[in-house]
Amino acid sequence: MKKRMTTLILSGILSLAMLAGCGNAQDGGSTSGQGSAGSSPQEAAGSADSQETAGTGASEGSETLTVWCWDPAYNINALKIAESIYQKDHPDFRLEIIETNGEEINTKMATATTSGVFDVLPDILLFDDSGFQSSVTSYPEVFADLTDYGFNYEEFSPGKVGFSTVDGRHYGIPFDSGTAIACYRKDILEQAGYTIADFTDITWNEWMEKAKVVLEKTGCPLLNGLSSYNQMTIMMQSAGGSFFDKDGNPNLVDNEILREVVEVYTEMVKEGVYTEETGWDTYIGGMNTGRIAGAMNGCWIMASLQAAEEQSGLWEITNLPKLDGIASATNYASQGGSSWAVTSQCSNPQLAVDFFKATFGGSMELYEQILETGAISTWIPAADSPKYEEPVAFFNNQPVFSLITTYSASVPECYVGVYFRNARSDVANAITNIIYSGGDIDSELQAAQDTLIFEMENK
Amino acid sequence: MSRNKKLLRRLPKNIVLMVISLFCVFPLFWVVVAATNKSVDVLRGTLIPGTNLAENWKTLVSTYNIWPALTNSVKYSVVTTFVSLVVSSIAGYGFEVYHDRGKDSVFKVLMLTMMVPFTATMIPLYQMYAGMHLLDTTVGFILPEVSAVFLIMLFRQNSRAFPKEIIEAARIDGESELGIFFKMYVPTMKPTYAAGMTITFMNAWNNFMWAKLIMSNDATQTFPMLISNMTAGHYTDYGELMLAVLISTLPTVIVFFALQKSFVQGMTGAVKG
Repeated sequence: MKKRMTTLILSGILSLAMLAGCGNAQDGGSTSGQGSAGSSPQEAAGSADSQETAGTGASEGSETLTVWCWDPAYNINALKIAESIYQKDHPDFRLEIIETNGEEINTKMATATTSGVFDVLPDILLFDDSGFQSSVTSYPEVFADLTDYGFNYEEFSPGKVGFSTVDGRHYGIPFDSGTAIACYRKDILEQAGYTIADFTDITWNEWMEKAKVVLEKTGCPLLNGLSSYNQMTIMMQSAGGSFFDKDGNPNLVDNEILREVVEVYTEMVKEGVYTEETGWDTYIGGMNTGRIAGAMNGCWIMASLQAAEEQSGLWEITNLPKLDGIASATNYASQGGSSWAVTSQCSNPQLAVDFFKATFGGSMELYEQILETGAISTWIPAADSPKYEEPVAFFNNQPVFSLITTYSASVPECYVGVYFRNARSDVANAITNIIYSGGDIDSELQAAQDTLIFEMENK
Repeated sequence: MSRNKKLLRRLPKNIVLMVISLFCVFPLFWVVVAATNKSVDVLRGTLIPGTNLAENWKTLVSTYNIWPALTNSVKYSVVTTFVSLVVSSIAGYGFEVYHDRGKDSVFKVLMLTMMVPFTATMIPLYQMYAGMHLLDTTVGFILPEVSAVFLIMLFRQNSRAFPKEIIEAARIDGESELGIFFKMYVPTMKPTYAAGMTITFMNAWNNFMWAKLIMSNDATQTFPMLISNMTAGHYTDYGELMLAVLISTLPTVIVFFALQKSFVQGMTGAVKG
């Protein structure tokens, strides 16, 4: 027994030494399959490989680009289709897609910047639109300026391109649409004596009256959401509003649009026609279980709605209500959506841009194929595809894709700002205080603005 | 009669304990149930096991490459546990058995490092590892864990109960110092090793932040990293997610239950007689 233990420990020390040897061997690039306890040949080869590809990007005439992005069913799927389309004319082209979620991308980008180790970055990254500008401003070393590579930004909706533009320079390639839609349960509206037409091209005041009737007759709130975050952003954007003025200074106090949004939102919650949820699961669960009679979010919300298969045919979509008494108010907005970025580590940005030009900026085939995952194009010509006209059974045979593309064209452009996320969370806190602690709008917005100024000064 | 009385007297205590254990077991129960249900049903809050387990499994293995991630996690955790137990137990033994004037000051410094949170050393550590080309490697993963101060302390504390007379007797009999450690100390300290093993394995298995920083490759990523990717999409399949979570808890559960008895002994400082 004792002997066995001794052997075990001694062999352990031995294998540790071998491990250390392996680590060194990887340096020189010669990996042998001897790594017993520690590294399998596959792993060793993989890591050496990654250091090469991630480190030097598409160097030495190689046509491989590494990409960090997330969501196999959506973004990664789209990339793979784009890869195969581009490969038709460029047989040597290859994408190495490493699934990395948005939060992880942010962590790694921050680590790279603070530690000065940039060679770990891939060639291409995916960013959520709401965080794109702030990432470019906070980590300028990470991004390649794509303005002069000849990508045709004219063919995309201006609202979308605006998300990845900083000081007039382009840092992103627009990808999917986050055009906001209002979805309602047809059957529940009918019980209250309404149809989808009653919720189309209306104002928030009209919406409120009808929502109260629906709640009274069916017991279902019309909307829910993760506190006020997405809902208020959508409402703000529908009127072209921003948390900042044109120079980027916080503008929460004397902001006519924001004030109207806060008033409408507060009323919705107080009347019970909007339920604030504590987590994403209860948010989606509300719609899937029929507890909530509608949804208002970026069009990507359709994927979650369709998970409740037995509700097929019961949903319909329409445009958003618009704010009352605001001159710039519209029935359209955008929420979510993402854009690609090429990093400063990419040694062949031209290859990356050419790839995007031939796919996300010029391939009808790509956009037709990814439509079934719910990824809707922001590339304007794609809307002419007959595929976009097809009725969707889940949404009571409405041609939802072409509807959404028409909405996209009317989304007002608005200034997002580098500190958008800070501003959003400060305003959300203010709203929470107004609703639950009886704070008044003026002082709460003033407090939010003070917090925001403090955050901006100390960043 | 008296037996019944005894049972009756114990009843209130048992009921309280049962209620508490229900609270503890419920999350695990919920994960198991969720793993067998469709995503929509999970969101409905169902508590009845469903029939969708096979379907969830199919989606999981078709969307995600789970085997490399699982293999990596097992590999990293086992190697970390093994190496760190060897190193830390030798250190703990050394601190207790050998005498040196600077010993206690060194130990104090070591203990102080426990107060430094990982987030504070994260960036310099990353820089160092990037400089040594240890990113995306097993060595890079285990190295920061090898000398675990908590383990050293645990071994030092528990070494106090190890009779010094044995060491002296062995020395007189001509046994080498290494021989004493491996032949006498290690077998006696089995409960402590078991406790250390449980803790280190769990920490290594659940180590997320460091792995997230240094692993940037599908071939080297860990299972917790894979799980964290699953909620990143526009649509989260909760059945699939919970199945992955369930799989991820299994190894720690197995290790814990296998070593449970020794774990308690080890933590309380018992020495195998």
